[in-house]
Amino acid sequence: MTADAPPPPRELVDHYFRHEHGRLVAVLVRRVGLQHVEAVEDAVQGAMMAALGAWARKGVPDEPGAWLYRVAHNELLDALRTERRRRRILDEASPAEEALAQPAAATFEDEVRDELLRMLFICCDERVPEASRLVLALKTLCGFSTSEIAARLFTSDANVYKRLARARARLGELAVDLSTPPLDALRARLPSVHAVIYLLFNEGYLSSRADQAIRVELCEEALRLGGLLAAHRVGASPQTAALMALMHLHAARLAARTDATGGLLLLQEQDRSRWDARHLREGARWLERSARGDAVTRYHAEAGIAAEHAFAPSFEATDWGAIAALYERLERVAPSPLHRLNRAVAVAERDGASAGLLLLDGRSPPGWLEGHYLWEAVLADLHRRAGDRGPAAAHRERALAAAPSEAVRALLRRRLA
Amino acid sequence: MAKHEYLVLNRFTPGGGGGDKPSPEAMQKMFAAFKEWMKTHEDEIVDFGDKLVPGGRVLSDGGVAEGPWVESKEVVGGYMILTADSYERAVEIMQAMPGGKRPGVSFEIRELSGQTM
Repeated sequence: MTADAPPPPRELVDHYFRHEHGRLVAVLVRRVGLQHVEAVEDAVQGAMMAALGAWARKGVPDEPGAWLYRVAHNELLDALRTERRRRRILDEASPAEEALAQPAAATFEDEVRDELLRMLFICCDERVPEASRLVLALKTLCGFSTSEIAARLFTSDANVYKRLARARARLGELAVDLSTPPLDALRARLPSVHAVIYLLFNEGYLSSRADQAIRVELCEEALRLGGLLAAHRVGASPQTAALMALMHLHAARLAARTDATGGLLLLQEQDRSRWDARHLREGARWLERSARGDAVTRYHAEAGIAAEHAFAPSFEATDWGAIAALYERLERVAPSPLHRLNRAVAVAERDGASAGLLLLDGRSPPGWLEGHYLWEAVLADLHRRAGDRGPAAAHRERALAAAPSEAVRALLRRRLA
Repeated sequence: MAKHEYLVLNRFTPGGGGGDKPSPEAMQKMFAAFKEWMKTHEDEIVDFGDKLVPGGRVLSDGGVAEGPWVESKEVVGGYMILTADSYERAVEIMQAMPGGKRPGVSFEIRELSGQTM
């Protein structure tokens, strides 16, 4: 091949490798079994390394997915053979090798999607600790490396590695054979799948530490997995639609939450014209679909609240009565002192600060929320507005001391001035 | 200055890679950088060459043997032909190649004589 042969103008879409990684791992694991997941990941990575040189030289092939699959498949077969020789196991092909040696059935688009979803359900096994489920999903389905996950979850590489090892060991103990549970049998796991997707989204949305690009990326991955789930009969439920609505409506406001210098902005300070119209439209569409059926889950209530905020023409025109009612509903389906706290904020906007305080009266936060900046900041704000200067100052002090970042502290100073 | 042609042999130590493997996202960035590098040096890369399939045949006066095998200390993994006016320039081009600096990987640059063997 000579330099003057122009390479075909085919380009890879953004994140192609990362998304393809998830698909290839899911399809190959399906063939050889979950116990070989690490060998599968290595083979997929090897195929991508090979693609770097080959595609740069000859251009991206017509079917890059098929190219990667073929190379990863061969690498995996080699690796399994080498492993067998190393262990000096009987000179017979292992079941995994035999499975690979079978000619691959044509892999159709919907089949690949099924495998990805199956992997997602496997990662969301309730018997694996929740923190590990998230890490497993990020590694296996989103193709993040250990250190990328650590950077995104603000933890050490060693911690991610530990969580991953724990998850894999647990799955091994449970002898999860990917070939046995058909996707439909995993339907009961849907709430855990929702929880992991929402957790992934919130890692991006709520983080006050990561830079904007990383946060958007995590939110997009959550939307991608949620969209995949919603498009399949196993996951297409009003709950999934509500979760999608919720995530889109929040994502719409993501960019407007910070000013030009990266400082956090209060809802009333945000420029509503910067809210993302595409996400708002998608959010409205999913909201409508979530209303089919009569189940009201926490995602319905939360999506409703997000919609009230997202579609209010201005902060002043926000329907606080509707929001207070939705928080009350949320508290009923998912009791949490944080929901009570937010309800108090909405009630205070509707009926005045004292009415809000009344809702928190005599309630002490649970241990994990004790001294949390949010709890302290709301109390400081409500007391200030109710004219109780002493308690307002005390809570303000505690809120500032507990702020997780300088950006949050700056926002609190402004709000609680 | 007169142009010379150089053969670049990519050598690697099997299993000696070590190092943290790049993530898919990092690889995609490397891919873009690599294409950019090829475009920049379009006029200096005579032949992008190819990767070599492991194993082969070694002919010598002792006969024909299979190999070299991956058990060898170092094997040639690929080749490329450059044109440049000096070794310095050829080295510069290769140093600018994205993803070239990895543990266990080296490049041998040799000038082609232009005479047939």
